[in-house]
Formats: sequence, structure tokens, C-alpha cells
Amino acid sequence: MEVKDIFSYDWTYLLPEFIILGFATVLSLLDLFAGKRLGKHAIGLLSLLGIVLAGVFVFVNIQTLDQPYSYMADMIRVDDYGNAFKLLFLGGTAFTILISLSYMQQGEVTHRSEFYYLLLSGLLGAMVMASSADLITMFVGLELLSLSSYVMVGLRKKSLQSNESAFKYVVSGGIATAVTLFGMSYVYGLTGTTNIFEISQRLAEAGMMGFQFIIYMAFAFLAVGLAFKISAAPYHMWAPDVYQGAPTPITAFLAVVSKAAGFALVFRLLLISFLQVPSAEGPFFFTQGSLFIGWMAAASMILGNVMALRQTNVKRMMAYSGIAQAGYLLVPFVPPTTLFFSEVLFYLFGYLLVSFGVFAVIMVVSREQQTEDLKGFAGLYHRSPVMAISMTIFMLSLAGIPITAGFFGKFYLFMGALAQENYWLSAIMIVTSVISYYYYFGIIRQMYMRAGENEAPLSVPKGIWVFIFILAIATVFFGAFPGLVTDYIQATFNPSFDFGNMLPTRTP
Amino acid sequence: MMVSISSYLMVALILFCVGLYGALTKRNAVIVLISIELMLNAVNINLVAFSKFGLHPGVTGQIFTLFTMTVAAAEVAVGLAILIALYRNKETVNVDEMDQMKR
Repeated sequence: MEVKDIFSYDWTYLLPEFIILGFATVLSLLDLFAGKRLGKHAIGLLSLLGIVLAGVFVFVNIQTLDQPYSYMADMIRVDDYGNAFKLLFLGGTAFTILISLSYMQQGEVTHRSEFYYLLLSGLLGAMVMASSADLITMFVGLELLSLSSYVMVGLRKKSLQSNESAFKYVVSGGIATAVTLFGMSYVYGLTGTTNIFEISQRLAEAGMMGFQFIIYMAFAFLAVGLAFKISAAPYHMWAPDVYQGAPTPITAFLAVVSKAAGFALVFRLLLISFLQVPSAEGPFFFTQGSLFIGWMAAASMILGNVMALRQTNVKRMMAYSGIAQAGYLLVPFVPPTTLFFSEVLFYLFGYLLVSFGVFAVIMVVSREQQTEDLKGFAGLYHRSPVMAISMTIFMLSLAGIPITAGFFGKFYLFMGALAQENYWLSAIMIVTSVISYYYYFGIIRQMYMRAGENEAPLSVPKGIWVFIFILAIATVFFGAFPGLVTDYIQATFNPSFDFGNMLPTRTP
Repeated sequence: MMVSISSYLMVALILFCVGLYGALTKRNAVIVLISIELMLNAVNINLVAFSKFGLHPGVTGQIFTLFTMTVAAAEVAVGLAILIALYRNKETVNVDEMDQMKR
């Protein structure tokens, strides 16, 4: 490609990425040269500013861009699918920074500024993952997010638990990367290209030529390797240890942003690459392929919900709950319909609100009680009614009980599965949801019906109090009026049910 | 003499399996990291072999290899840094002893 070509692109559509990259770079330099002279929260607040700016430009892109805009043969592609996920990532990272500002008071993380700009570089990785249509950039985005997360998990340098969970994260992450790449290398071998739209056509040709076995192998490798990022079975075992050892804001970041980024990548990569592959029983993706994903979803729901029953550490319990949520989120993919995009987005939106609420409450309570045990919640209602009621709302939403955002999210997924006549998966979803009530209500029982060690009011920092309160209100509000969000998603990102312009526009 | 593509793929597959076995069974954390490198290098062999003998030969596979090598280097650097932090708190590189959170 000539140099001239690079400048002939309109780079303004990539402003959100450039802003995040710029802020991450400038903040690290600022910390290097003026770190001592800055206030405690300066770097955190500046990163928050960067995220808000990037968010504004994502909105500008949504308003101004009707057609997907592709850079360098879809290496990066600005489309509604990516934009929708970018909004989730930006929101999630902004929430992470908001709780981090209070978390830093504990002084466990000695490298405050590193914390913030690693968060930004992780966010950049997530944004690249959501908006690329090329194996190479997808992989680089994935690794940028992963490498930043490894370090962030281990940032409590003096804590053995944190070190250990970071090491476990690196090792399992490394294996997952290798497995994903191995799948990618087979895909490349059959297609000779890394652009996923071309892969889509050439994989179909290769399928016709009798390379089915290698295609199945590539699919299995990709699905298993990417299951790591969304913490779905069969690659979920890292989650409990990592969630427990990581600083609480990072746990929330992993639970929401990292998982949503994984979903953005999985949906785009698997759906487009394998869409046209034929097989003996009809299109591969809608028969064996979705059966494979269906098994992954079922295994995640069962394992996550059953293992969560016997946890006593609340962060560990949330990790298993997150595995189960990943299972629910895979359900609309079996097989994908035109509605899956809005179903998944709404679910992730509800999950974003609720998860950050839960982890903020966990942070406040476990800091005061000096323990992350479930027992720490005993008698919370008598000590801080607002915290207890908010936590109740979050738990109801995670369990999927009306009127909360989580109820409608799960309801949409369930109805989608029923419409597909996917009865076995719907049945597993219902049964495991009922199982999950037990541990979600376990926390509620602790808060209302158990006596705590003391009755002294819980001291909650003002900022966190407001944060949790607003999230609780929002959870109920979007549970009462889910149409506000779904209509917006339908109208803005999914106007003709084309998954936010994700599908190729050019004709084969 | 022409070496067929299946030999390359077989070497890569064997290397991948050896790496996976090592990563899952070895007790020394450094060996575990090296085993992961083996798995990533199996991918590189695959990519380079495919870029010459694949269904649609082309240079993209070699470019991809450069990216995987760079990222693998970064990954192992982070892994070793974390291992050193761990070693400072608990003088061991034995993965069997990293069981703080077993339940």
C-alpha cells in the first residue's frame, strides 16, 4: 500500500481510540515527570475525562455514520456493532475508575497511576476487539486487553493472594491464547487470508472441497480458546481464583468489560467466519456449530450455578455467578437469530449496572469488616438500610426477578430460545436460574435475618453511596421501562436487523 | 526433496501437545511459561507452513507470525514479572504450592 493511501482515509472516525491511546500515553509520561507533584486523584480524574471525551465521539460516530467505515481492508472497521459495544466498554471502565477512586484510599495498591493507565490500555484493547474484522488486529486487541488485565490483577504487590491469582491468570490466559491462535492458524491455512469476510467465502469453498474435518477442528479450537475471555465452560476454572485475588474494582472490570469484549469478539469472529460453511445436515453453523456452543452454554449454566452454592467467599461466589451469566449470554447464539444482537446488548447493559453495584457494595462491606466472607453481610440492613436495599435489588436482578433490568434481559434470552424451539436449553436455563436463587437469596438472608457482630452504622464514603444509589435506581427504572433501551438499540444499532452493519455490505 | 505439508502440520501438532502437556503437568513455574511458548511456536510453524503450502499461499501468514512472536514475548515478560513479585512474597516457584485460594 502506498503512503498516500493511508492519508486518504478519514481518520476522525477513529477519534475514540486515538483519545484513549493519547490519554494512556500522556498520563504515563505525566506520571513519570510530575507524578510526585500531582494530587492523589489527578491521574484517575484525567482518565475519567478521557473516557467521557471518547464516549462523546462514539456518539458523534453513531450519529454521522450510516455505513460502516473500513480502514485498511477492514483491519479496523467502525460500524454500529462495534460502536454499541464500545459504549458498554467506556461505561464499564468509567464505573471502574469511579469505584477505584475510593478503593485507592485503602492503600493496598501502591502504584496508583499505573492502575489507571493500564485500565485505559485494557480499554483500548477491548475497543479494538469490538471493531476489527481481521484476525491479526483481533488477536492484537485481545492480547492488549489480556496483558493489561494480568498486570492489574497483580497490582496488590504485597498481597500473596493477588500475586498468585495474577500468575494463574497469566498461565491460563497464555494457554487460551495458544489454543485460539492454533484455531486461527488452521483457518488461515484453508483461506490464505486474515480478513474475516474473505474467510467466510473461502471457508465455504474449502468445506465444499472436503476439508470439513479441519474446519470443525478450527471451530472447536477457536470456541474453546475464546471461552477463556468470556469465562464460559470449558475454560472457566481461572475465574474464581482470579476474581478473588484481584483488587475489587478490577474484579468488576473483568466481570463486565473484559467479558463483554470477549462476547463482541466471539460473536463477530465465529458468526461471520463460519456462516457459509456447508455440512451434510445443512449449514454447519446452524447445526453442529450451534450445538457445540449450546453444550458450552449448558455446561456453563450448570457448573456456574451449582458451584456457586457452596462458596463462602462472596467474590468467589460472584465469579461462579459470572460463569453462569456467560452461559445465559451464549443462549441466543444457538442458533443466532436476527434478534440476538439486541438481546445480548440489553442483557449486557443490565449486567453492567448490576455488577458494578454489587462489587461496590462488596468493596465497602469487606473493607469495613476486613473479610470477604458472606458472613460480613450479616445484619447489614440494621447498619445501613440503603446499602442493604440496593444490594437486594442487585441480587434480585442477577437472579432474574421482576421488576429489575436483569429480569427483562433474561426474559428476552429465554423467549428467543423458545422461539427457536430450543427447548432443552430453555429448560436448563429455567432450572439453573431456580438453583441460583438459593445463593443470591443467601446474601439477602444474611443482610436481613442474621445478627451482625455490631449494630454500629456502616460508614460509606459519600461518592460510593451516591454511585450505588444511582445504580440501584437505574436497575429498577430499566426494569420498569426496558423499552427505552431496546427501542434505542433497535433504532440506532439494528435498524434492519443486520447486527449493526456487522455483516458484509459488498456482494460476494 | 519436497517435504509435504502434512509433515509440517504433524510437527506443529506434536509440539502443541508437548507444550500443553508441559503447561498442565510441570511443577516449576518457569517451565510452565516455557511450555506455553512451545504452544505458541507450534502456531508459528503452522502459519509459516500454510503461507507456502496452504490452499491459498501468500505472505499474510508470515506477517501474522511476526505479530504472534512479538505478543508472545510481551506475554512471557509479564508472566516472569508476576512470578518475580510472587517469589518475593513467598520463596517458591513451585506451582503446587500456589494454593492460597483452594476450596
